[in-house]
Amino acid sequence: MRYNGFSYLIGEGFSNIFKNKKSTIISIMTMICTMFLFGIFFAIGVNVNSVLEQVQLKQGMQVFIWDETTEEQKQKLETEIKALDGVNTVVFKTKQEALDTFKTMMKDKEKFLEAYEGENNIFPASFVVTLTNLEKNTEVQDEIRRIGAKIATEGRNQEVDLQIEESTQHDSIIKEITNSDVVIPTLIKIVKGIRITIGVIFIVLLIISITIISNTIKLTVHARRKEISIMKYVGATNGFIRWPFIIEGIIIGVIAAVITLLIVGLLYDFVIQTVESSEVLQKINITLLGFTEIAKTISIVYAVLGIGIGIIGSTMSMKKYLEV
Amino acid sequence: MIEFKNVSKIYETGTEAVHDATFTIDKGEFAFLVGTSGSGKSTLIKLILKEEEATKGNIIINSKDITFLKAKRIPYLRRSMGVVFQDFRLLPDKTVYENVAFAMYIVKATPKHIRRNVPMVLSLVGLSNKARCYPNELSGGEQQRVALARALVNNPSMIIADEPTGNLDPETAWEIMNLLNEINARGTTVVMATHAKDIVNKMKKRVIQIDKGIIVRDDKKGGY
Ligand SMILES: Nc1ncnc2c1ncn2[C@@H]1O[C@H](COP(=O)(O)OP(=O)(O)OP(=O)(O)O)[C@@H](O)[C@H]1O
Ligand SMILES: [Mg+2]
Repeated sequence: MRYNGFSYLIGEGFSNIFKNKKSTIISIMTMICTMFLFGIFFAIGVNVNSVLEQVQLKQGMQVFIWDETTEEQKQKLETEIKALDGVNTVVFKTKQEALDTFKTMMKDKEKFLEAYEGENNIFPASFVVTLTNLEKNTEVQDEIRRIGAKIATEGRNQEVDLQIEESTQHDSIIKEITNSDVVIPTLIKIVKGIRITIGVIFIVLLIISITIISNTIKLTVHARRKEISIMKYVGATNGFIRWPFIIEGIIIGVIAAVITLLIVGLLYDFVIQTVESSEVLQKINITLLGFTEIAKTISIVYAVLGIGIGIIGSTMSMKKYLEV
Repeated sequence: MIEFKNVSKIYETGTEAVHDATFTIDKGEFAFLVGTSGSGKSTLIKLILKEEEATKGNIIINSKDITFLKAKRIPYLRRSMGVVFQDFRLLPDKTVYENVAFAMYIVKATPKHIRRNVPMVLSLVGLSNKARCYPNELSGGEQQRVALARALVNNPSMIIADEPTGNLDPETAWEIMNLLNEINARGTTVVMATHAKDIVNKMKKRVIQIDKGIIVRDDKKGGY
C-alpha cells in the first residue's frame, strides 16, 4: 500500500479540534441548537403523520345490503371488496349487531326497540370498510357499487327459471353506501397541509444550519488563513489543506449529533408520556410513537445532517482562502 | 534553472512593477536581487513562485515554461523550491520539529523518512536542542533558521529568499548568510532579495539590480 499521509490529515483534524477549543465549542453549540430544532420538528412531524394515518385507517364507509341477499352473494361481495386497491379492512355487521348498536345509542328507549327483535328487525346488515388511503374513497365506493350490481345480475342469469318474487328484484345487492363526506375531504386537506408545512420547515432549518455552520467554519478558516497561506507556499495541494478542515467539520457534526440525540431522546419520552396520558388521546384511542420507534430514523437523519453540514460547511467556507 | 524572457508585470492597479526583465540564473548559482524599496524585488520573487502571473513574457523554471502552468500544478512547482521570508512564516501552534515535518507530510513522505530527515536538517541549522520549542519561544534568528530548515527538508533544487535577514540584527543576519552559503556550496541554487548592503558587498556573489522594475545591472561578482 502506498503511504498517502491520510493518517496525518486525520490527526490534524483532531488536533485542530483541541487547539481551537473556543470555536469548536461554538460550532458544536450552534449545531446542537439547529439540530435540536430539527429534532423537535422531526418528532412532531412523524407523530402527526402517524396520528393522521391512524385516524385515516379508522375512516371508511358502511356498505348496507338488502335483506334478500344470499349467503353466497355476501361472501362474494366481501372477497371482491377485500381485493380492491386501497381497502384496509372489511368487517361484516349482522342485522342483530346493527340493532344492538342502535340500542346502545338509544339507552332509555330500549323497551320500545324490543318490537324490532328477530323477524321484525328492520336494520340492514352491512360491511364496514376502512381504507388505507383516504384519497381512494370515491374510487373504492364506485368500485363497490359496480361489484354490487354485477353480483345481483349474475344471480338473475343463473336462476333465470326460478320464481323470483317482485320485491326481491333489486338492481344491486347493495342498498346504500354511507360515509362521512364532510370528514374525509377535510382530513385529506389537513394531511396534505401538515406534510407540506413540515417539509418547508425542514428545508428552512436545513438552509439555516448550513449557513450558520459554514459561517462558523469561515471564522475558523479566517483565523487560520495565515496557516493556510504558509501551507500553500510549502507546496500543499488544495486537497491536502482542505482535508483537516473537512475532518474537523465531520467530527464537530458527529459530536453535535450524538449530544442532540441524547437530549432529544430524554426529552421525547418525557413529553410523549405526558401527552399520551391526556384524556383526549385516550378517548380517541390513538397512540404516539415511542422513542425507540423513531430512534433509528432520527439517528440516520442526524448522522447525515451532521456529516453533511460539516462537509458542505467546511468546503464552502474554504473556497476563498485557497486561491493563493 | 531560472530563466526570465522579456517578462513584464503590471498589477491590476496599473503599477508596472517589472518591465521587460530578461536574465538567467544557472544551477548552483548564488544571486542577490537588490534595489530600492518598491523597485520590484518581491514581485520578481512572486513571479518565480507563481504567486503572481506575468503580464508579458515567459518564465522557465527547471527547463519547464511555467507561464501557463495550471493552478493545480502550482503546488508541485513550489515543492521544487524552498521559500524563506522576512517574517519567518512559521505555524505558531506547532513545535520546531512539527513545523519542519509538516513540509514533509505535504509531499507525502513516509513516517520513517520524516523521522530520519527532520533531525538531520535541524542539526544542519544548529537547532537540534530546540526541536520541542514553539516559535514564540525562539529568537528571530532561531525562527529564521527553522524556516530555512523547513525550506531545505525536501531537498529542493533552489532556495528562494525574500529579505531573509530583514528582521534580524547584523550578527544574526550573518548566521543565516553563512548557512545559505553552506547550502549553496552543496549545490543548491540560491536567489535572495535584500536591502543589506554590507552583506552583498562581503559575499561577492552575483548581483542583479532592479530599479523601478527595470534590470539596470547584472554583475557576476558585484557589490551593492
Ligand atoms: N499586489 C499588488 N498590487 C498592486 N501593486 C503592487 C502589489 N504588490 C506590489 N505592488 C507595487 O509594485 C511595486 C513593486 O513592489 P515590490 O513589492 O515588488 O517592491 P520591493 O522591491 O519588494 O520593495 P521592498 O524593498 O520595499 O520590499 C511597488 O510600486 C508596489 O506598490
Ligand atoms: Mg519586498
